[in-house]
Amino acid sequence: MPNTSENLIAGLVAELKPVAPLRKRAGMTLSVIALGAGALGMAGLFGLRPDLQAGQPDPIALISAGVFLVLALASFWAVVDMARPYVGVRREGWGWTALMAGVLPVAAIVLLGMDWLRGEPMPLELDGGTCLRFGLGWGLLSAGVQVWWLRRGAPSRPERAGLLVGVGAGAAGIFAVSLYCPHSNLVHIGIWHGLTVVLAGLAGRLVVPRLISW
Amino acid sequence: MIADDASLTRLAGLAQQGDKAAYAALLGAARAWLVRYYRRRVTPCQLDDLVQETLLSVHRKLASYDPSRAFAPWLAAIARYRFVDHLRLVYRRAEDELDAAMHADDPDEPAMTARISLERLFEALPAPQQRAIELVKISGLSISEASATTGQSESLIKVNIHRGIKRLAALVERG
Repeated sequence: MPNTSENLIAGLVAELKPVAPLRKRAGMTLSVIALGAGALGMAGLFGLRPDLQAGQPDPIALISAGVFLVLALASFWAVVDMARPYVGVRREGWGWTALMAGVLPVAAIVLLGMDWLRGEPMPLELDGGTCLRFGLGWGLLSAGVQVWWLRRGAPSRPERAGLLVGVGAGAAGIFAVSLYCPHSNLVHIGIWHGLTVVLAGLAGRLVVPRLISW
Repeated sequence: MIADDASLTRLAGLAQQGDKAAYAALLGAARAWLVRYYRRRVTPCQLDDLVQETLLSVHRKLASYDPSRAFAPWLAAIARYRFVDHLRLVYRRAEDELDAAMHADDPDEPAMTARISLERLFEALPAPQQRAIELVKISGLSISEASATTGQSESLIKVNIHRGIKRLAALVERG
């Protein structure tokens, strides 16, 4: 064995060229640029919510947009770090952030359930489908950047990386949509905006591992 | 052979800058580490291929090493990934080749080699889980046939397969 391995090593040494190590800051910068491009694109094409334009943002809409923004950033951070594999490194911060964001859909379901128990079921606006489609669409920008970054690196847990790419992309996309979406009620935000992140996470988990295998 | 992690970390940083002598020393030390790592996990005839595949991955993914961190955990992560990938291939090949062997007069050598590798992992499983996976996933029996053979109920066979595979995955992940 030493002979064949030594031949291989000699070949690899001969073709060595300097390589720039993957820098986490560069990966985060690119991801944030993609997120910002989505937000600018949404606001540029459709305009801002009336309350944002008036400089008097609705508290619920503001808080929920902030939650999705933080979830996107936490997921980006984990994905960017996953491109550089290390045994023994735990990347669990995104999980706590996802749990925090999960409060929104749970609160929405509780509100819907309470209304239903009172015999006053609240109709679920179907125009939430528009938020979902635009959220997934703008999220593709972030997903593209993150997949490209992971392909440059060596993610050792592709399924987890795929899930996180999806969650981050969905959260980034729905953050962009939040700047335009005129709804401020928790049910709409929890159900439709939350569903965008869940679907994006599932899509990432299913699709991305195949794109980043090495 | 250079063994301490501080030296390896320094060599890896130099290799990223294009220092060929440092890179040769690094790959030599990495090879020795990989041989030790894989020797306990795969059959001797698979060892060389796996070591070489991993060295190629080290070469292709050198940019993913962060020079501010230790080298050994990075190499271990690369090795573990290649090992998991190798197991996936072995598992698929074992199923395909054992299936083909069942229709031939003599089982061929690659199928047996793959099987030996799996059996090394199976040793860590409780006997009922080993038996359930062996019969259904390797030998191709149906759940009901496996149930009749082992005396375990059909639902227990399913549970044992599920738990066994989950445990195998955990063993591989833990490295």
